[in-house]
Amino acid sequence: MIGRDGLAGLVVLATSLALFWLTLGLQRNPLVPIGPGFYPRIVLGLTAALGFALVVADLLARRKARVAGPPRNYRLVALSFGAFGVYVLLLPGLGFRIATFLFVAAANLLLSPPQRPAHWLRALALGAATALIAYYVFEQYLLVLLPRGRWTDF
Amino acid sequence: MYDLLWHSIVGLLHYKYLVPLVAGTIAGVVGGALPGVTITMTVIIVLPFTFGLDPLQGLAAMTGVYVGGSAGGLITATLLGIPGTPSSIATTFDGHPMARKGQPGRAVWLGVWASFCGGLLGGLFLIAATGPLAKIALEFGPWEFFSLFIFALSMVAGLMEASLLKGFISGAIGLIVTIMGNDPMLGAPRLTLGIDFLEGGIPFLPVLIGVFAFAQIMSDVEKMGGAAGPASAVERIANLSASHLKVIWEILSRPVLLLWSSLVGLLIGVLPAIGGSAANMIAYDQAKKFSRHPERFGSGTPEGIIASESANNANVGGSLVTIMAFGIPGDAVTAVMLGALTIHGIQSGPLFISQHPRIAYGIFAAYLLAHPIMVILMGLGARAMLRVVSVPKAALFPVVLVLCTVGAYALSNTMSNVYVLLLFGVLGYAMVKTGFPLAPLIIGVVLGDQIEVNLIQALMTDSNPWLFITRPISGGLLAAAVLSVVFALWQHRRHRLRVAGRGTAEQEVDF
Repeated sequence: MIGRDGLAGLVVLATSLALFWLTLGLQRNPLVPIGPGFYPRIVLGLTAALGFALVVADLLARRKARVAGPPRNYRLVALSFGAFGVYVLLLPGLGFRIATFLFVAAANLLLSPPQRPAHWLRALALGAATALIAYYVFEQYLLVLLPRGRWTDF
Repeated sequence: MYDLLWHSIVGLLHYKYLVPLVAGTIAGVVGGALPGVTITMTVIIVLPFTFGLDPLQGLAAMTGVYVGGSAGGLITATLLGIPGTPSSIATTFDGHPMARKGQPGRAVWLGVWASFCGGLLGGLFLIAATGPLAKIALEFGPWEFFSLFIFALSMVAGLMEASLLKGFISGAIGLIVTIMGNDPMLGAPRLTLGIDFLEGGIPFLPVLIGVFAFAQIMSDVEKMGGAAGPASAVERIANLSASHLKVIWEILSRPVLLLWSSLVGLLIGVLPAIGGSAANMIAYDQAKKFSRHPERFGSGTPEGIIASESANNANVGGSLVTIMAFGIPGDAVTAVMLGALTIHGIQSGPLFISQHPRIAYGIFAAYLLAHPIMVILMGLGARAMLRVVSVPKAALFPVVLVLCTVGAYALSNTMSNVYVLLLFGVLGYAMVKTGFPLAPLIIGVVLGDQIEVNLIQALMTDSNPWLFITRPISGGLLAAAVLSVVFALWQHRRHRLRVAGRGTAEQEVDF
């Protein structure tokens, strides 16, 4: 049966073949001997071969018993990615200060679930401090522009 | 040369440069001391703060982070037995037992002064070797550069312990990132998938930040909810005082160990993308093999601390050589520095020293000055920095992610770079979880354009592909690439035999 490496190899193989197929439609300039698809085809061909080799290596490998490691909290990872994804989506609409305040407070509560009312306050304070300090340091002092909210103009 | 260096040192003592250098060194020491925050992560955090500075100010801050971070890891390694960064893993083997025997001050200061000595030896090499190596590189044509970059990529992919195939695939993914967007020769759009943003290609800094920051943070997040941090141990550390003269004499009375460990660190630094984590382990291993008392290693012997710490700081000098002479990042930290140079429109590579002597010598000066600053900071605040370890990750990680977002956004003031950050964050974490090393990916992304440009230029100059082999330097570099792959195959076979029967536990990842 195919293992994790084999699946990864299949993904690499499929992606590189799909991109390779796209390079076949690239127009070549008649005045230049080497077209824009020349190098990408070499890279993608090699990658496809490596992906295929990984699939074969995985199929030929003898499965070893996995030693159980410490428990992993993948749910928390998924939620953290989700929180960051929402932050990225809200950033252009809400603007840096509001979106950052909400994200930092929410992520803090997610990573360290509140036990007491004081923890809520701590998370909100962390969010507010991060948003304001980052805004003043970057925009006011370092002159680095940060996203302004389309919906809030803030 | 030395006149210019002296002027640069004096110039860097001006508060305009000294403040970023000191701030960077503080950030490096603190980041290095924090378990779970690597030097790469720290330099990524510092990156957005450098956008508003002039290039030398920004690079001084990053050099400070690099030097400070390489030494900062030893605080927690010796006092708590938890390496602050992968480059201080070997320091725990003897540093912590020595601290537990009631000599925490001696353990810390042996590490600090060994870092100082190793770092300065690395600095001498950096100053002496960069110019001559850059001169050699100036003689290179596109055939030689192509072969050099292939050699660098093959080496990085091959030296990853987990799987040779995965190392190569990781490097190839990096190259794929660079073929998306307009082709570098004629500007013809390719593989843009109908996305306008991709026409300009995928910028490498958001890729690098996304891959490393998320891979590291999420790998820590998945372990959250377990045992409490090491804060309780801090209270037990009573006194960090030690006789500095005695400690320095302990180091200098072992000149062969110091020189050999520094040389190991330097050489590993010169090899692309291997980094301090390998340097300290190999130097420790070498010190143990050559010692007349190998049985003492692991029980608190000073040799173990000196070997590990001198190697990881000398490694920094080696890494800076490759980026300044060839434009090849020695590791992820120098890849970020390369990105910082690019933001300011400066191209690193063989012409870097001759075209930007002020910045090149400024980096040398920053590197040399960062070491005494690091020693002073350790003297003033080692205990305070130990308390920083108790900062909860639940508070730290969201703030770090915000700084990563600022870093990506501020590159061109567009959200597109932030989307790239998120996309490659997911990819980086997925790669780590499936056992793909990240270093070859980054080297692929950094060198991909250059590999293509030099390949096409060589073939347009002369369509005979055999020139890649028949030109002596190019052929030699390609032969070295093949040899490195053969060596890697042998090494992997040995590694497989060693671990056979042990099962496959999930391994900690070195960022």
